Amino acid sequence: MAEREPPHPPPHEDELEDAELVAVREALAELRRELRARFGPDAHRDAELRRIDWNELFVALRRRIGTLGMSERSGEVDEFGMDEVVLRRARPLFDFLYDRYWRVDLSGLEHLPEKGPCLLVANHSGLLPYDGLMLAHGIERLHASAERPRFFVADWLMTLPFVQPYLARLGGVRACRENAERLLGAGRFVLVFPEGVKGAAKVFRERYRLKRFGRGGVIRVALETGAPLIPVGIVGAEEAHPILFKWRPPIRLGLPFIPVTPTFPALGPLGVLPLPSKWRVRIGAPLRLERLGPDDARDELLLSRLTEELRVAIQGLVDAALVERESVWS
Amino acid sequence: MRSASAGRVLVSEPGVIGVTGIRGWLGAGLLARLARANGVRALGLDLRRPMRMDERARFARIDLCEPTADGSLARVLEKQRVEVLVHAAFRADPTPDVEQDHELDTIGSMHVMHACAAAKVKRLVVASSTMLYGPYPDNPNFLSESHPLRGHPHAHAVRDRVAMETLLAEWSQRHPDVEVSVLRTGWIFGPSFWNRVVAYFALPVVAVPLGYDPLMQLVHEEDVLRAFEQAALRPHAGIYNVVGSGVLPLSTLLRLAGKRALRLPSALLDRLAYFPSQGQTGDPPSAFYDYLRYLWVADGRKGWNAFGEPSYSTKEAWISFVSSRRMRRYR
Repeated sequence: MAEREPPHPPPHEDELEDAELVAVREALAELRRELRARFGPDAHRDAELRRIDWNELFVALRRRIGTLGMSERSGEVDEFGMDEVVLRRARPLFDFLYDRYWRVDLSGLEHLPEKGPCLLVANHSGLLPYDGLMLAHGIERLHASAERPRFFVADWLMTLPFVQPYLARLGGVRACRENAERLLGAGRFVLVFPEGVKGAAKVFRERYRLKRFGRGGVIRVALETGAPLIPVGIVGAEEAHPILFKWRPPIRLGLPFIPVTPTFPALGPLGVLPLPSKWRVRIGAPLRLERLGPDDARDELLLSRLTEELRVAIQGLVDAALVERESVWS
Repeated sequence: MRSASAGRVLVSEPGVIGVTGIRGWLGAGLLARLARANGVRALGLDLRRPMRMDERARFARIDLCEPTADGSLARVLEKQRVEVLVHAAFRADPTPDVEQDHELDTIGSMHVMHACAAAKVKRLVVASSTMLYGPYPDNPNFLSESHPLRGHPHAHAVRDRVAMETLLAEWSQRHPDVEVSVLRTGWIFGPSFWNRVVAYFALPVVAVPLGYDPLMQLVHEEDVLRAFEQAALRPHAGIYNVVGSGVLPLSTLLRLAGKRALRLPSALLDRLAYFPSQGQTGDPPSAFYDYLRYLWVADGRKGWNAFGEPSYSTKEAWISFVSSRRMRRYR
């Protein structure tokens, strides 16, 4: 670099120092980039690299030195905020809920593709996203790819303090089109509940009757990303938190209404605990979209027809599971 | 080396790259880099000549808050034959003088646009911020460049910049012959960058809203300067987010640095901080704390494709900042 520089009067003492400092910094940044290009996660394509991985050791050492004296309990999260450490700690609780509490009976796993992208569409119930958590947990445990699906969470839950950070650490993602596109583009499993708040706020009288599915966004995203669309029926979650009626107090409390369940305002905080109903989860055959492409996503009539088809498919799964069960609790 | 190779692919020989706001961190750093690049003639523009300036760069005085600043700037640009102008003359921090901030950030930028059109400048590079998207619970996890700029209702500096970008978009439609690039940077951290946000995170105890733990995205100062240098040297029309890779929760950032998080309920935090905040920035506290409450992470892929992968991730940028403080024996 030095010989290329045009002739110029010798710079002042401090400016020389400044220029050197910047040059050193630039060289360091260059080195850093090169290190990453050579030793980064993408560099390990060669299969015969089975011996001691000095590169990895070096990177680890560099990290270790760089963070000397800093806290080691670093919560590394993925780009949507899912935290492996929090998940590992929460897994025993999920196992308990899945096996003992709700005794989830999951069938139809053979309809899932080997690996993503994959869009699972389920009926929604209950104000807290237990259904998303349990379905994600079941697929993570039982499916061959063992990848934890992300479940979509309604907007209003994502505004709630305390709840929102934990949902994100457990794999919850705010339900919106951009997030769906990005996740499916990265080849992930995504659980969506297109009924949204309408489904969550269903009263007990309307249980297992699916509400309208948003505005057809699910189908559009599936067509645009080419992800298979898989209907899922969940039975039992409605009884975990049966909303008897919606109480709208005369003063605003930040919630659109207070859900009155057999236990909720009556037992105070204890009432937040869900009831131990028996859950049945049925994964259906994927909707046939093979002959449709991204161009068809502009055909609104087709979208609404497919949306209705999907809703009917899920309703069918739910109805079949309802006929099958004899009691809510077993 | 980078700067040598950058010199070869330059605009036609007599072209000059102008930089406004060279007394600020971005303008100064960029001018120093451009002055070192081969075959580039750099012109710094500001109210006063900075104390330290590369001797290879030239200086011209300009006051963007004057009513006829566009005319005088156009004259300077024409006389010096400026082909590329980098507009970095913005307030580093909001000040209690809300009107004057507006004069510089919005009206000053308008003068710059008008002068560029009058002086037939080929390219205009404008410094902006991803704060303009605004912190909202209903933001998607990654905000792309096409996302509407919602800003923040109480942050006047953000509001002024949103107004500036709106003006810029309208002006750019009227003057398609000037190529415009807008570089929206995230929160900058590093050894030398300093502003109110950095000062806040340099405290040993950091007050944060209770019950929220948003994902944070930081960008290292080197990556910012590199992106602006590239945008000044080569044509990159369009809007780019300039951010670091990866995200970290706010609590993890603080824990990594061994800082104590003072978690206060939002209602209390906003009242406690009301008068200090009003006195220092002219805004109520939510103008800052909402950025620690809700998500406003930008999608950097377009910028990385254009200006190269960032050399620092969010975590590395933070560690670089913290360790530089440690070396100077601060906590």
